[in-house]
Amino acid sequence: MSQISRRDFLKIASAIAGGTLVSEKLPSLQLEDKEHPNIIIILCDAFSARHLSLYGYPRLTTPNIDAFAQYSTVFHNHYSGGNYTTTGTASMLTGMIPWKHRAINYGGLVRSEYVHVNPYTLLGSDYHRFAFSQNPWPDRLMGQYYKDIDRFLHPSSYSLMEANPLLRMFENDRALASIAMDDFLLPAQNNSIAGSPVFGYLNKSHVLNIANNQKRVRYPKGFPEIMDPGYLIPYLNEDIYSGVYSELSQLESENSPYFAYFHLYSPHFPYKPRNDYRTLFRDDGYKPVSKPVHPLSAGLHEDFMLGQRDLYDRQIAQIDEEFGKLILRLNESGILENSYLIFTADHGELFERGFVGHGFHLMYEPVLRIPLIIRAPGQTKREDIHALTSNIDILPTLLSIAGKNKVSEIDGSILPGFGGEINEDRPVFSVVAVDNSAFAPLKKAVISMRKRSYKLIAYLGYDNVEQVFELYDLENDPDELINLATKDSNTLSAMKAELFAYLDETNRPFMKKY
Amino acid sequence: MTGVKDVVRRFAVLLAERFPDTQNILSIYAVIVSLIYSWTLITSFYKIPSWLFFLTIGQIFSIYAYSFFINLIESILMLIGILLLEYTIFYPLKKRNEFQSRSILMVVFMLSSSMIRLLLYKSYESSGAFVSGELTWWILTLLLGIFFATIIPKSERLKNVIEGIAERLIILLYVYIPFSILSLIIIIIRNIN
Repeated sequence: MSQISRRDFLKIASAIAGGTLVSEKLPSLQLEDKEHPNIIIILCDAFSARHLSLYGYPRLTTPNIDAFAQYSTVFHNHYSGGNYTTTGTASMLTGMIPWKHRAINYGGLVRSEYVHVNPYTLLGSDYHRFAFSQNPWPDRLMGQYYKDIDRFLHPSSYSLMEANPLLRMFENDRALASIAMDDFLLPAQNNSIAGSPVFGYLNKSHVLNIANNQKRVRYPKGFPEIMDPGYLIPYLNEDIYSGVYSELSQLESENSPYFAYFHLYSPHFPYKPRNDYRTLFRDDGYKPVSKPVHPLSAGLHEDFMLGQRDLYDRQIAQIDEEFGKLILRLNESGILENSYLIFTADHGELFERGFVGHGFHLMYEPVLRIPLIIRAPGQTKREDIHALTSNIDILPTLLSIAGKNKVSEIDGSILPGFGGEINEDRPVFSVVAVDNSAFAPLKKAVISMRKRSYKLIAYLGYDNVEQVFELYDLENDPDELINLATKDSNTLSAMKAELFAYLDETNRPFMKKY
Repeated sequence: MTGVKDVVRRFAVLLAERFPDTQNILSIYAVIVSLIYSWTLITSFYKIPSWLFFLTIGQIFSIYAYSFFINLIESILMLIGILLLEYTIFYPLKKRNEFQSRSILMVVFMLSSSMIRLLLYKSYESSGAFVSGELTWWILTLLLGIFFATIIPKSERLKNVIEGIAERLIILLYVYIPFSILSLIIIIIRNIN
């Protein structure tokens, strides 16, 4: 397996370098419209930066991504605004901190007054705008912008299952229709009772039977499935990444520049790598640092967490292979040379402190730190940015690349390396507030605040947590093992004061109502 | 050509002769509507707390609009299914005065069965297991339904009770059907480009 990866690594490295040289010689491959370049976002769901060999993970999980990074700008301290899909993705799409956009609940939506703040609306009709999210929750978020999306694929596109025809009837009201149909009337999963007694039964029977049949026939040991509440969509990463290329090839034939956002489900749970990856990293001797069980965690056993980590790493390795193939094809077809390609994630994944996954109350580095690699057209060498950045910075950067003005509602800043400046004093926030109403002041939430080398974690409104604040010096303690909250009271007080000042300000409009 | 026309005419007459009384159909539809809409409303109560967390009241009403629209389609399809039964399985019984009660019993059996399946549903490991599992369940439901729908109306007292309840449920149509039509209008407006 490692031999294949190494070969792919060399292929990509040489292809991108070769492609760059070619583009310098052939005018036809130069960027056609420098004012409005193509912008492609490839986002992998639940992809922790801590698991990329690019960022120092001891396992060689991502040789192809590493190769791609050799000709890109690599952000080393990039954070998601949330620790699960809805909040993380909404932060990226709106450029706002979660306490402002308020997509803070599972499957939630952006506040109606901020719906116009998104890449689709702000890039405008100068761009041909494309959206595809395998994960139904971002699909729902983008459903709020459906009027400004020129091509909007359904989550089951390029999967092993057809979309429900009933859902296709309500494309123009996709966000709410999705909540009504997927979450309530026609959920596919066993544990969700359908609100529709006839169609609900028929849909559940059909979906579960097809899924199991596919599993039995094509992948006896199972394949990845989109298993968000209401959904059950089996898919193969090979098909999905081919689909990405196919869509980009079609977009190339458009007369206008394009913006394409692909929200891809893997390596999200369930971790089911292809069979030829099933033994990768087995007995390789790697053992991560053991960390104390958190009172808010599920209390999972260390061996179980290690097993899940292995599966996750294997899934990442397969994603890396597919990404490598995609980059090769994009390079060969000249698409790469005409486009900004952004590779990132919506949030990370956690395999420590008695917890596996994301979206719970834990806000440690593996679930918040996400990869961000941006390749500009014609970029020939790697740049490394170590400043703190957030995924709320993606939207202003896109707008800057496209020559559009930033709007006042956006909290993010243009990324360093793309016209933005490094501000050492800037705090970076991540919020999980699934237990807090989107319409109420933020009182029950876990908030992470990164500033300089410090990280403050505040557990607000949780009675079963002994220590409401945790403070870490990530420069000296990257594994977040030594809580400085009682030892460094000055830093703690300063960061608390700053956090509560932000919170007071953001809660003010909601206080009037409550 | 005349022969074909004659056959069609005779078939139409036959259908018309066997077509149940409108009032009877209305009371059966009332039972269907009561069961389907009530199920949706009751299951929605479990969802409301989470919806209130992130949806506005207007958005929650829109979800109910989608629900009532789907319920309307379901209930009409169910009624068509029951009428088809009357022309197929129940055709030899010929007792039109029992149509109402036997159809109501079939509706109750079929819908309750679907609801029980929804509560207890477990996925199957293979398509063979799926077909045999679900098919067995539905064949049993249908057989039991037909059996009770044939036997129970023989008792005049039970028949009267069933029909009495059904006729009283018609009042619900005056609530649910206007709401469904309103829902349809809301959905059309929301989905117009």
